[in-house]
Amino acid sequence: MPVVLLRLQEATGSGEGGFTPFSINTGLIFWTIVVFLVLLGLLWRFGWPAILKSVEDRERRIQQQLEEAERARVEAQRLLEEHRRMAATAKAEAQELIAKAKAVAEKERAALLAKAREEYDELLKRARKDIQEEREKAILALRREAVDLSIAAASKLLEAQLDTETNRRLVTEYLATLEQQR
Amino acid sequence: MMQGPDIGKAIFEHTSDSRVVELPFGLGEWHLPTGWHLFGIDVSPTKHVVFMVVAATLVFVTMRIAGRQIERRHREGKAPHGFGAAIEAVVLFVRNDVAIANIGHGGENYAPYILTLFFFILYCNLFGLLPWGATATGNLAVTGALALTAFVTVEVTGLVALGPKGYLKTIVFVPPGITGIGAVLMALIMTPIEIIGKIVKPFALTLRLFANMTAGHFVILALLGLIFIFGSWLVAAATVAFVVFMMLLELLVAFLQAYIFALLTSVFIGMMRHAH
Repeated sequence: MPVVLLRLQEATGSGEGGFTPFSINTGLIFWTIVVFLVLLGLLWRFGWPAILKSVEDRERRIQQQLEEAERARVEAQRLLEEHRRMAATAKAEAQELIAKAKAVAEKERAALLAKAREEYDELLKRARKDIQEEREKAILALRREAVDLSIAAASKLLEAQLDTETNRRLVTEYLATLEQQR
Repeated sequence: MMQGPDIGKAIFEHTSDSRVVELPFGLGEWHLPTGWHLFGIDVSPTKHVVFMVVAATLVFVTMRIAGRQIERRHREGKAPHGFGAAIEAVVLFVRNDVAIANIGHGGENYAPYILTLFFFILYCNLFGLLPWGATATGNLAVTGALALTAFVTVEVTGLVALGPKGYLKTIVFVPPGITGIGAVLMALIMTPIEIIGKIVKPFALTLRLFANMTAGHFVILALLGLIFIFGSWLVAAATVAFVVFMMLLELLVAFLQAYIFALLTSVFIGMMRHAH
C-alpha cells in the first residue's frame, strides 16, 4: 500500500506548493497531534465534566425519584392492605360485639325473668303462708271464743242447775260410793 | 471534442493541502507563513492546520455553550431543552453506546477521549462541506496522526490493564496448551502476525477516514467538472442534481465516519482490555 501511495505522490508531485491529496506532510502530523491534544485537554477539563456531571446528576435524581416512587407505591400497597385488614377485623369485631351484646341481653332477660318468677313465687308463698297463719290464728281465736262461750253458757247452765234436789242427791250418792269403796 | 480545462488537476488542487487559505466572500487569499522548523521538521502551518484549529475551537465553543446551558437548566431544576439537549443527546450516545458499550466496565474513563475524537473528526468532516472550506480529515497526515493517538491509547491501555507480562502476551502469543519447542515455534510464527495485527488497526483507521472524506469530494468535483467539459446547461442541470444528492450523502458520511472512527477506537481499546 505505501508503494502505491508513493507512486501517486511521484505522479502528482508537481502540484502547487508541493501538495497532493496523497502527500503525507510530517509537519501536519505534528500539528494534528498538538491541536487534538490541546482540544482533548481543554474539553477534558472544561467541556465534558460540565455536560456529563449535570447529566449524571439528573440521572441519579431521576433514579432516586423512581426508587422513591416505587417505595411509596409499596408503602401505599402495604397501607391499603393493612387498612383492608383493619376494616375486616373491625367488621368482625363489631359482629362479635353485637353477638355478645345480644347474648348478654338474652341472658339478662332470662335472669330477670327468672328472678321475677322467683319473686313472684316467693310472694305467692308468703301470701299463702300468711293466709294460712291468719286462718289458723282465726280458727284458734274462734275456738277460744267458742270455748269461752261454751264455758260461760255451761257455767250459766251449771249455776242454774246446782241447787236442785237431783243434784244434791247425786252428790250424796257419790259421796256414799266413796264411803263404800274405802 | 473541444479542449476542456484540466479537471484532474483542479480536483487534486482542491482536495490537497496548501500554503494558501482562500478567504470567503472575495476577501482574497491568506498566504500562510513558511519556514517554521521544529526538531528538524518543517512545521509551517498549512490550510488544513488552519481548519483543524478552527474546527477544534468550534468544538470547544459548542461544548462550552452547551455545558453552560445544561448546567444552568440543571441548577434551576428544569428539563433539558434546545441546543444543550441536542448536544447532550449526541454526547450521551457517543459516551454510552460507543465508548462504554464497547470498552466495557471502566469505559467512562475513556469517554472524554472518544468524545473528543468523535466531535473533532465530525467538525473537520463538516468543514469540508462548507464553501471555501477544506477537509482536514481528507489528509493522510491528519487521519494518520489521529490513528496514532488511537494506537498509543490502545497500547498504553494494554500495558496498564494487563500488566507488563499480560501485555507481552499480546505480542508474543503462544496458544495455551503448547509447550517446549512447539511454543517457541508458535511464538516465532505468531509474533509477526500479532505485530502486524496491532499496526493494521490504526492503518485501517487512517485510510478509512481519509478515503471516505476524499472520495466524496472527488466524486462531487468530477461531476462538477463535467459541466466545464461539456459546457452545456443541460448537463449542468443534471450534474447539479447529482451533486446535491452527493452532498447529502457526504453529510451522512461525515457523521458516519466520525462515528465509525470513534466506534472502532473503542472496540480496539475494549479488545485490548479483554485480551488474554
